[in-house]
Amino acid sequence: MAPRTIAPFGPQHPVLPEPLQLKIGYEDEKVVEVVPAIGYCHRGVEKAGELNEFPKNVFLVERICGICSFIHALCYCMGVEELMKLEVPERAKYLRVVYSELSRVHSHLLWLGLLADAFGFESLFMEFWRVREKVLDLMEMTSGDRVIMSSCTIGGVRRDISPEQAKEIEKTLAWVRNQYNRLAPVVLNDYTVKKRTVGVGVVTKEQAVALGCVGPTLRGSGVNQDLRQTGYAVYKELGFEPITADGGDSYSRAVVRAKETYQAIDLTLEALAKMPAGEILNKPKGNPQGETVMRVEQPRGELFYYLKGDGSRNLERLRVRTPTYANIPSLLVMLPGSQMADVPVITLSIDPCISCTER
Amino acid sequence: MMGKNVSVTKDTLVPEVQKLAEAKARFITATCLDLGDQFQVYYSFDQDLQEVDLQLMVGKDEEVPSITGQYLCALLIENEMKELFGMKVKDIAIDFGGKMLLTDTSPQLPMVKAVKKSGEDQKGGE
Repeated sequence: MAPRTIAPFGPQHPVLPEPLQLKIGYEDEKVVEVVPAIGYCHRGVEKAGELNEFPKNVFLVERICGICSFIHALCYCMGVEELMKLEVPERAKYLRVVYSELSRVHSHLLWLGLLADAFGFESLFMEFWRVREKVLDLMEMTSGDRVIMSSCTIGGVRRDISPEQAKEIEKTLAWVRNQYNRLAPVVLNDYTVKKRTVGVGVVTKEQAVALGCVGPTLRGSGVNQDLRQTGYAVYKELGFEPITADGGDSYSRAVVRAKETYQAIDLTLEALAKMPAGEILNKPKGNPQGETVMRVEQPRGELFYYLKGDGSRNLERLRVRTPTYANIPSLLVMLPGSQMADVPVITLSIDPCISCTER
Repeated sequence: MMGKNVSVTKDTLVPEVQKLAEAKARFITATCLDLGDQFQVYYSFDQDLQEVDLQLMVGKDEEVPSITGQYLCALLIENEMKELFGMKVKDIAIDFGGKMLLTDTSPQLPMVKAVKKSGEDQKGGE
C-alpha cells in the first residue's frame, strides 16, 4: 500500500484567487481524505453589523462580496423591511430583480472563465471575461459603479433606470447572448472539457441534501430547489423555474450555471419589459424591532440572513450564512477518490467565494 | 420570516435533529445569540423551501452535543460558535480546537456581548 502523504492545497494556489486551505491526504495520486481550513481573512462583519446603525449596514453587507454585492444588500434590506413592516414600491421590486439577474449573468460568466483557466484553456477564459465586461459596463451606466453599486436601500432602490438605459441594457444583453452562443457550447460539448469534468467530483442527490449544499451545487445533483421559487421581489410574476442537472459531477454543476446564464438574461429582459411606472423608494421611519430570517438566491446559492432588532438604531444580532460556507463541506465527499490533478477543478466546481465565507 | 419553531433542550436536540435528517431536511445553519446568562441557538433546516427552526436555550457553562453525527456540514458553524461565543460544543466531527477563525492574538470571544473578567464588566472583542 502506498504511504499516505498530507499536502496543503492553498491558501495560496493558482486556481484560488482567495485563501482557502484543503489539507489533502493522498496515496499515490489518489485523494483519500480532506480537511478544509478557513479563517485566513475573517473580517468580523457580523460584529460590525451590531456596532453600526442599521442603515449603514447596507454599505457594510454589500462589501461582503465583490460579485454578488447587490444581493447581499437586497437580502439585508428585505429583512429590515419585514421588521419595519415597510412596503416596497412595485417598480423597485422589478429593479431589484434586474440587478440581481445582471449580477448572476456576470458571476456565472466569471466562473465559466475561471473553469476554463483551471484547465489551462486561457483563450476561453479571456473570451468569457471579455463578454462579462459588458455586463459590468451596464452596472456602471445605471448605478455609477461596476461592482459595489449601492443601488439597493431600505425601502426600495436609490436610482431608477431610464427608458434610454433600459434600451441600452436590451441591446447589450442581445450582444452578450450572441457572444455567449459561441462560447457556452465549448464548455458543454468540448471533448477535453468533458474529459476533465464528467464523472468527476460526484455528489449524489441524497448526499447533496445531507451535506447542506446550495445553489448550482445542489441543483447539479438533481435537487429542484431555488429560493426564487418562493417568489420574493417579483419572481412570482416572471414564471421562474429552476434549472437542474442529474449527474452530480463537476460537469453537471457547469451545465446548471451555463443554462442559468441564459435564464438570467431572459429574466432581466422580462423584468424590464414588465416593469411598471411609479415610485422607487418608500423611505423608512422608525427602527427595526423583532426577529426575522431572510433567504434569497445568489449566483452561488442560498443566502441566509438572520436579523434581530430591539427598537434601537443598532441591531441586536446580524447573522450571515453565505452559499460557499454551505458548500465547503461537500468537498469532504467530492474529493476523496479523485486524482490529485482533479482537485483544482473539483474545488472550483462549487464556485468558492472566500470573501463571502470570511464575512 | 422565521420558520416553524420547535423548542428543544440539550438532551432532545440530537433526537430532534435525527428526525429531520430522516425526513431529508437540509441543514441551513445555526444562529447563536448571547442573552447574557445563557445562549439561544436556532438550528435552521429547510424542508421543501419551508424553514424549520429548532430553538435551544442553554446555560453558558453547559455542554451542548454536536449535530455533526447527523449533519456533517454543521462542523463549520459549530466550530464558529465555539470560538466566537465560547459555546461548549462537544464531539464535533472535525474540531479545530478554537483555531478555525481566531489566532492566539485575536480578540477572545468577540461575539459575546459582555464578558465578566476579574469582577468587572468588559465588552467582548475589546
